[in-house]
Parts: sequence; structure tokens; C-alpha cells
Amino acid sequence: MNSESPMADRITAAILLLLGGAMCWGGFIMDRLEIRQIHPSSIPGLLPIFLGLILMVCAVFLGLSTRGKTRPSTSEASKDSENWRDFSFAAVWSCLFAIVMVSRIPFVVASAIYIAVFTGWYLWRPSGKGGNRLKMMLLVGLYAVLVAVGVSVLFRYGFLVRLP
Amino acid sequence: MDALTQFFAAIAHFTTPLFLFHVAWATLLGILVGSLPGLTATMGVALLTTLTYTLDKDAAILVLICMYVGAIYGGSRSAILLNIPGTPASAATSLDGFPLAQRGQAGYAMALATAGSAMGTIVGIALLVLLAPALAAIALDFGSFEFFWLAVFGIVISGQLTGGVSPLKGYIAGILGLMVAMIGSEGIHAHIRFNLGFSELNGGIALIPAMVGAFGFAEVLTVMLRKKPVMSAKELKEDRILPKLADLWKYKRTIGRSGIIGTLVGIIPGVGEDIGAWASYAASKRSSKERKEYGTGSKEGLIAAETGNSAVVPGALIPALTLAVPGSAPAAVLIAALFIHGVRPGPMIMIEQPDFIYSVAAMLFFATLAITIYGLSLTRVFILVLRIPREFLMPVVFTLCVIGPFALTQRIFDIWVMVGFGLVGFVLRKMNYPMAPLVLGIILGSLLDKSLRRGLTLSNGSLEPFFLRPISAMFVAVILLSIILSLPVVQKAVARWIDRLMPAGKRGEEDQ
Repeated sequence: MNSESPMADRITAAILLLLGGAMCWGGFIMDRLEIRQIHPSSIPGLLPIFLGLILMVCAVFLGLSTRGKTRPSTSEASKDSENWRDFSFAAVWSCLFAIVMVSRIPFVVASAIYIAVFTGWYLWRPSGKGGNRLKMMLLVGLYAVLVAVGVSVLFRYGFLVRLP
Repeated sequence: MDALTQFFAAIAHFTTPLFLFHVAWATLLGILVGSLPGLTATMGVALLTTLTYTLDKDAAILVLICMYVGAIYGGSRSAILLNIPGTPASAATSLDGFPLAQRGQAGYAMALATAGSAMGTIVGIALLVLLAPALAAIALDFGSFEFFWLAVFGIVISGQLTGGVSPLKGYIAGILGLMVAMIGSEGIHAHIRFNLGFSELNGGIALIPAMVGAFGFAEVLTVMLRKKPVMSAKELKEDRILPKLADLWKYKRTIGRSGIIGTLVGIIPGVGEDIGAWASYAASKRSSKERKEYGTGSKEGLIAAETGNSAVVPGALIPALTLAVPGSAPAAVLIAALFIHGVRPGPMIMIEQPDFIYSVAAMLFFATLAITIYGLSLTRVFILVLRIPREFLMPVVFTLCVIGPFALTQRIFDIWVMVGFGLVGFVLRKMNYPMAPLVLGIILGSLLDKSLRRGLTLSNGSLEPFFLRPISAMFVAVILLSIILSLPVVQKAVARWIDRLMPAGKRGEEDQ
């Protein structure tokens, strides 16, 4: 599905409608702190109620704005300008690094592995075969270790941060 | 006169070897960050904020301002050489900069961009020194009612101007930002809202992880989605890398006008450098005798765009310092950094720290000097920087995105927040939702919430003061007018009305 298509806007409108409704309801049922005898106009749920309502109105307008619109034609040029394979790898590998690797293995090791695999993935094919590829991968490994150690030392000893 | 004396005193204060060293490295780093497509000024300032904890207040703010000015200027490098703006602020620069590069005048285009940026910032600094104290004095009369409308005004205007063809998406982004700000302990009764059972959310979503995610991780993903850019084949065939004074004199009106437009755009909350550049470019084109050359390599167009985007930087700091309302996304991060370093921006700044505005003006001045020196002397070095493969650069950027937010609070949870905002920010960008209103919403959420409830408490539940106090009434009128004018039905009616008023011949001239 094209992210700029009317269908994408309709789905977003539905999600925003639900989100707005949830926030409005959440604000409405929020504790009104009567026990503290606060002014009734200063209840914590007041603004969330309004924001939820306004988001719901915007979602309705967003849904209505797609009426009569057709899916935009995706030109060859715009298809060629995007590389979803590269993107998918970058997204999945970066999330794995941030959510799974960091905090489970020492930061310096995790970041060296992350950088080496990230860079190596993109340079594996362009680096050719045999000796050239081996040389490139060694260079990538060295680069990853240097950067990982550099960043870790900077934060640990330069800014006195306890690394994850 | 007093302002000028204080400004020169601030200049003298920063003329020490240590401060000049900070200016030198931070501005250079800013230019490098800005010149690399995918690394924005906001991301640079956000990441650098995490590296300035240990510096003293003056040095930390100086470093961040140099990064900001350098990055906005640096965006012109890739706009001219690759036809890809290094930062969104340089989108208008590529219209005329890249055609000049294709004609073999890349060096001269970069020289003009340098001159335009330097002069734009100087105009902005002058207006910052003149306007900021006055605005701070006016803001002293603001009460809860006015601050409530100021926050609404910021979201509405930012949403409208950055939403492009669909202001509705800008408004939605702003509301989503405000909703994020509703998470955690609220500012009046300390009641915890919407923490969804996670105790880590009791303090709310911190701005720095959110910004690093929305501007850092989302940028990394955007860069990896794009195919590799190709550098202009005819780059630097011509050796001239200094601007001709005759050209600058010829376009003096354009420079002055673009500087003023850029600064005024900067003052409008959450609008930012890209709108400043486009507004200056459009105004310059409208009044130019050379308008046919615009888009094909016009020197005047290039100067207008660069002067406009650079003038936004001092302009954006005016409301940031005097109202604590950011004029742009990088200024939003700067506000967070000011709080971290013990400076409380807002109406009281001229009372609590009367010399701080002049210190900021002096910092901007030094950053401007540095971009001029680097811009005119290191043109070829910057071209080499543009050749760094993204495969090597992006994992380093993401590693900094991970460790930066963690360094602030030592919480793994903030890394997850960064990742979450990065993924959501990427999807929103792909669907043409602007990021600036979202950020502004996160910043202004607390102000909006506290002002509304405090105002209602003061008026015992009455809405009258929200509409009848003079400044509030003015805000209401502007907000209503903005919303009404953004409605497609009204826009069509206004266009028809203008068509009727303007004779066909005149219209044809304007279109050219």
C-alpha cells in the first residue's frame, strides 16, 4: 500500500479516531481528586478530554478529505528512488541492536557487532569476490572496533557515563 | 546604546582561547552534520546536548548554538553538489544551487551561499538584540489566559505552515505531540496520567529521547530507504570560491529583505528554517527583475534562500528565550538544553539573567564568523566529506542515537522511547505529517495544560477572561482567521476573489 494513498489516510483516520476516543474516555474517567478538594475546573483529565475530542474531529475530516480521491500513480522514477530491501535490513538490525543487544551484552561489544554487520551487509556484494572481499570485510571489522571503542571511551571516561 | 554595550561586553567575554576553540570545533562539526544528507540540525543539536553535560553553562550553550548555525549553513553543500538538501532548510537552495553546479560554478555557488548565510544571520542577530528584550517585557504582562492562547497559536500556525498542502496533517501532528505531553505526572496536582502501568512513564516522555528518535533514527531509516545520491559531475571546474562584492552589492535589497523575512518567520512558533527559506525565495522572486532565471541557476535566488534560512536561527531563538516557545525544532532542543544547564527561558529571563540574550547574540556572532571562514576556505574539504559512504556513517549515527539518550538518565527505557519515536516518526514522515508541530506539541503540552486549568481556577470556571482580555482576544482572532483561511472552501473563495480583482494581463506577468 502506498503511504500517500487515500486508503492509507482512511486507515490512519480510523486509528486516530480510536486514539482520540481512548484519550477522551481516559480523561473522562480519570480521578477527579475530590478527596483533595481541588477546584473542579482543574481536574487532571480536562485537557485530555478536549484533545481526544479535537483529534476525533480531525480524524473525521481526514477521512472525509479522501472522498473522490484515487490512488496516486507511482512513477518508475519514484519507484527507482527507494530501496526497501536496504531499508528493511537497517530497520530490523537497528531495532535488534537497541532493544535486544544493548543491556544484554557490554555496549562496546554490542556496538562493534552492530556496526560491523550493518556496514558489512551493504558492502558484501559491491566488494567483489575473493581477496577484495576479504580485504573489505577486514577493513569493516577494524572500522567497527575503532568506532565502538572510541564512542565507549568518550562516554565512559570523557562524560563519566556508566555504559549499558 | 545600552544593548550595544552589553553585546560588545558579551563578545569580549567569549574572546578567550577556550571559547574560540569551542566555536571552531562545534561549528565545523555542525557544517559536517548539515552537509551530510540525512543528518539534520535538530539531530545534531539533540545528540550534542548529550555530549555537553560536563561543560559549564556558557561553553555548553555556545557549542550547541555553533552546531545549530553550522548545520543550517552546511545543508547548502549537498543541496548545491548533490541536489539533495543536507537539511530540509536547504531545499530552496538546491533549486538554483544545483543548476549553477551543473554549469561548473559549484565553487561560486557555495561562496554565494556562505555570504548569504553570514549576512542572514547578522540581520537576525541585530533583530534578536532589538526585539528580544521588548518581547520579554511584553510577555511579563502574560497571564495563564495569554499563555494558553500562545500555546494554541503555536500549534495552529506551526501545523498550518509546515503541513504543506494539507494543514490538517500539521494540526494532527501537533495534537499528537500534545497528547504525548499528557503522559506522566501533571504540573498542578502531580497526578500521574496515562502511564499504562509502566512506572517509567510516571515522569513523562523526555524530550531528548523523543527528538533523537524522531530526527535521528527516522533520518537513518530515510537515508537507507533512498538510493545513493550522485554528485554533480561538473563540480568545481571553476576555481573561484570567493563571492564577488559586486554581486553582493547588486543583491543588497534581496539580502536585507530575506534577512528580515527569515527572522520574522523564525519568531513564529515551530515554523522553522525551511519555511523561512521558501518565504524569502518566493518574496525575492516576486520582486525580482531576473525572475525568469529562478530555478535555472539564479544567483539572486540562491542568496535569497540561504539568507532566509540562516536568518531564521536568531529569529527562532527570540521566542525560545523570551517565551520558552521554540521558533523551530532545533530551538526546541535548545530550550531543553538550557533547562539542563540551569537557564530558565521565559518572560523572566530579562530580570533573572539580563545579559543572557546578549551572550546568545555574541555566540551567534562567533558562529557566523566561523561559518564564513570555513565556508570560504574549506570548500574542497566539504566535498570530500560528502563522499563518505552512508554505510559507514549511518551505523555510527545510530550508535550515538542509542547511547546519547541513555547518557542523560541512565535508563534503558529511554532507548526504547527513542526507537519508538524513530519508527513512528518515519511512518508519519512517509505519510507527509510534519515533525515540527509534533515536537512543538511535546514542548507546549505542559504549558497549555497548566495555563488552561490555572486560568479556569482563577476565573472560577468562567471562560470570559480567555476571550475578553486584550492580548487573549488578539490571539483568538489570529487563530480563528488562520483556521478559517486553511479551509479548502475558503481558500477557493479567496482565489476566486483575487482572480476577479486582478486583471488577466497582470496575472500573466505575476505567473512568469
